[in-house]
Amino acid sequence: MSSVLSSSSHTEIGTAEPAARVAWFRRLQPSTFLWIVLAIILALLIVAPVGMLVTKSFTDPVTGGFTVQNYIDAYGKARHVQALVNTLYMSAAVVVLSLLFGVPLAWACTRTDMPFRNIIRLGIFGAFVMPPYLGGVGWILLAGPNSGWINVAWESLTGSPEPLVNIFTFSGLVLVMAINTYFTIFILVSAAFEMINSEMEDAANILGAGPFTTAMKVTLPLVLPSILGSALLTFLISIALYGVPALISIPARFPVVVIQLTEFFSFPLRVEVAAAYSIPLLLITAGLMALQRKILARKGYTAVSGKGGERRIVKLGRWRWVVFGYSFLVVVISVILPLLVLMMAAFSRSWVGGLSLDNLTLQNFHYVLFEHSSSQQALVTSLVTGAAAATAAILLALAIAYVVQRKLLPMSEVLGFLAMSPFVIPGIVLAIGFYAVYALPPVGLYGTYLLLILAFTTRFLPIAYTTSQAGVRAIHPEMEEAVRILGGGRLTAIRKVVGPLLKRTLASGWLLIFVPAAQELSTAVFLVGPNTRVVSVVLLDMSEEGLLERLSALGSVLLLIIVGVMAIGVRFLGRDFMLRRT
Amino acid sequence: MLRNVLAAAALAMSPFCAHAQQAELTDSERQLYEAAKAEGEVIWYTSQFTTEMSEAACGLFMERYEGIKCSPVRATGGVTFQRVMQEVQAGAVQGDVFSTNDQSDLIELKKLNALEKFMPQSAEAMSPVLKPMNDSDGYFFVSSVSPYGIAYNTNLVSAEEAPKSWADLNDPKWKDQIAIAHPSFSGSAGLWTLAMSDRFGWEYFDTLAELNPQIGRSIADGYNLIVSGERKVAVTAIALSRQGEAEGQPVATVVPEEGLMLPPSGTAVLAGAPHPNAAKLFAEFMLSQEYSEWLVSLKRYPLRSGVQPAEGIDPLDTGKVITVPAEEAMQGLVDIQEKFRETFGI
Repeated sequence: MSSVLSSSSHTEIGTAEPAARVAWFRRLQPSTFLWIVLAIILALLIVAPVGMLVTKSFTDPVTGGFTVQNYIDAYGKARHVQALVNTLYMSAAVVVLSLLFGVPLAWACTRTDMPFRNIIRLGIFGAFVMPPYLGGVGWILLAGPNSGWINVAWESLTGSPEPLVNIFTFSGLVLVMAINTYFTIFILVSAAFEMINSEMEDAANILGAGPFTTAMKVTLPLVLPSILGSALLTFLISIALYGVPALISIPARFPVVVIQLTEFFSFPLRVEVAAAYSIPLLLITAGLMALQRKILARKGYTAVSGKGGERRIVKLGRWRWVVFGYSFLVVVISVILPLLVLMMAAFSRSWVGGLSLDNLTLQNFHYVLFEHSSSQQALVTSLVTGAAAATAAILLALAIAYVVQRKLLPMSEVLGFLAMSPFVIPGIVLAIGFYAVYALPPVGLYGTYLLLILAFTTRFLPIAYTTSQAGVRAIHPEMEEAVRILGGGRLTAIRKVVGPLLKRTLASGWLLIFVPAAQELSTAVFLVGPNTRVVSVVLLDMSEEGLLERLSALGSVLLLIIVGVMAIGVRFLGRDFMLRRT
Repeated sequence: MLRNVLAAAALAMSPFCAHAQQAELTDSERQLYEAAKAEGEVIWYTSQFTTEMSEAACGLFMERYEGIKCSPVRATGGVTFQRVMQEVQAGAVQGDVFSTNDQSDLIELKKLNALEKFMPQSAEAMSPVLKPMNDSDGYFFVSSVSPYGIAYNTNLVSAEEAPKSWADLNDPKWKDQIAIAHPSFSGSAGLWTLAMSDRFGWEYFDTLAELNPQIGRSIADGYNLIVSGERKVAVTAIALSRQGEAEGQPVATVVPEEGLMLPPSGTAVLAGAPHPNAAKLFAEFMLSQEYSEWLVSLKRYPLRSGVQPAEGIDPLDTGKVITVPAEEAMQGLVDIQEKFRETFGI
């Protein structure tokens, strides 16, 4: 039995032997049924809603028959096509800017002797914790064309009435998106940098390569898969983000897909057209994923082993301060400035009132905590659904990653593809798929917490899967095979080897999901009932009215709680879990 | 937490207060109240007020009818209607009362049999201007009047410079300085767009588009944009700017020469509401004397004939008003939203 397994795992990249394919049923054992159950869960969470979307996109809303009219309605207008083009263009720009932010900082924090690395890490951690729409509100306060603080300061300095910066533009939109996405790049690329063994770089040095050649020929190729992978993730996140476009792209008059989708969902409700509209996006992103897979498959990246290798940091010399300056600038733009203005607005009567005692008030906090009828409940709902979804997603994803990596079932690649697929579905569209399948009778989950938890679990499954996959991939099957040779079953191997090895990965994965899940907006928009409103939806409703001071206060409370949860996580996991010390 | 403490305190005192209040209740009101107490809650989907006003209205209701929790869920008309439609489609109605600035939403829901046929008894006492705007079949009633006018920031614009009419908003001097709301999000902005296009033709919006107005989602956003000075003039609910004037904000209100734009807000009890009696009680409450007086205290128009508007505000029947009949709105809104999107590119 174990020989079949090990031979199949050793032929991962080469062509599969026909004999191994025929013999899959011989691998059936009790634990296999557990995998089948998990596969069914996955089908319910992803295939059903996505299948419903695909079906709907070809369904005539009146007759229920087959039609392509939905696609004609969706793409028959130049304006609708433009929104798709805009989205791709915007997301590409966001990826470029995020890479410019994320990669140098990841390198500086993991591989150099840049001063105050922990301060920079703490700042980037802040960027992760800050929900995108709060960053957006912060930048509206900073760079609104007429009253933004930067522009007011600029005008009083120069007397020029022309705004210095205007957030309601394409570049403003890209900036606000990027400050909310570069974290993904930072964390994934940092992890890759930390895995690199200096021996390879030393080898290059010994053979006469200078630091630059070493970086280009050795270091960069080693982290390239992580860079590409994280760039793709960033691209997908940018497509699907709803809060920032709602705040900025409407005034900037830069229509994007998520805004266009709200048009299809507003009256008259055209779910079928919306479904049709999102299918090409799905194909584009699926194509990108296939491309990434191809790039990764060309080289063996299991080179990273459990063996400890020495990692030496690069001495930057006088460049230390230049690198620090750049890193600090990124942190200032992405966290310090927006957080500062949010806090000031939260404590102000009027955010344009400036710094004065008259303008100082606690009323906004009192309002959101005690007067506003849904804020308290929304805070609890956000945290509970976020925690439940993070737990469910990480357990499910680990199981899937394991099945895929160890090829326990035929066609297990399909499971991996499915687990990643929610990323290419904008949260809003996913919500409609969920709504159609699970909110309506006979399931009838509308207005329940369960519906939100299921949707959030699905939405964040890709993060959970990426994390678990990376973790499982890094564990060579040899270690499990050792357990099996000694007579342990697969479940024993998982419990005694895989689980302990993945503890840190899973815990940080949980937090990686909890934080966005507790702030999730786009999926929640169509799934909340009056009693299950989450904070993000309450904040969105406030933003419609321009109640920026109160919004800031409620947002600050949410931030504070999330930071608290993270702090507890850090305490239990040790401080090396995200703010890793070198 | 504090809310719970207060509620508990109120509950403990209720034998005293309830007695005093029940004296004012009419028979039908008392019956509804008794039945509603068993339900314990009313959920109010609304776009007719700001969040703060919705909370305040609920606060008044809870004061008057102890033991019934009132939960407002406030969003723009488009979003609120979307939520109600979803619930109707899901066959799982969760809201009890639905209020909107766009009565065509109510007509749509009526067609889908999603509204409970209920006309509050107090509708008899409504102002003669407003009463005819209630649904003739008895499914919904006018629950607020929030006329649209123009407001400007007094620190940035002098009274002479300020626009005097809707047509003035086409003046090039307002380039980059106007705030409006998107008709696909805000129901009342949709009606305003229809009314302006009826009166001036679509050229009005072609010109406006060249002036690069800031397009918000809610009409309240425009008001906040001029308070902050982000924009100089806004098309907004004058109730907001009048209230702002009273609070000493740097804003002033303009009643345009062509007349205020009048989108009457409508309210209905949803069919299959989880708390039907509490819903009806809330509907009655919206047409009560107390509620109209409260509206006046916020510079809004009263709904009942016996209550006078606040000082300095002309009663509705003396001023010129522009209205869009609900049936016309229903036919025109989808087209006008599409045109708006074409013109403004969003």
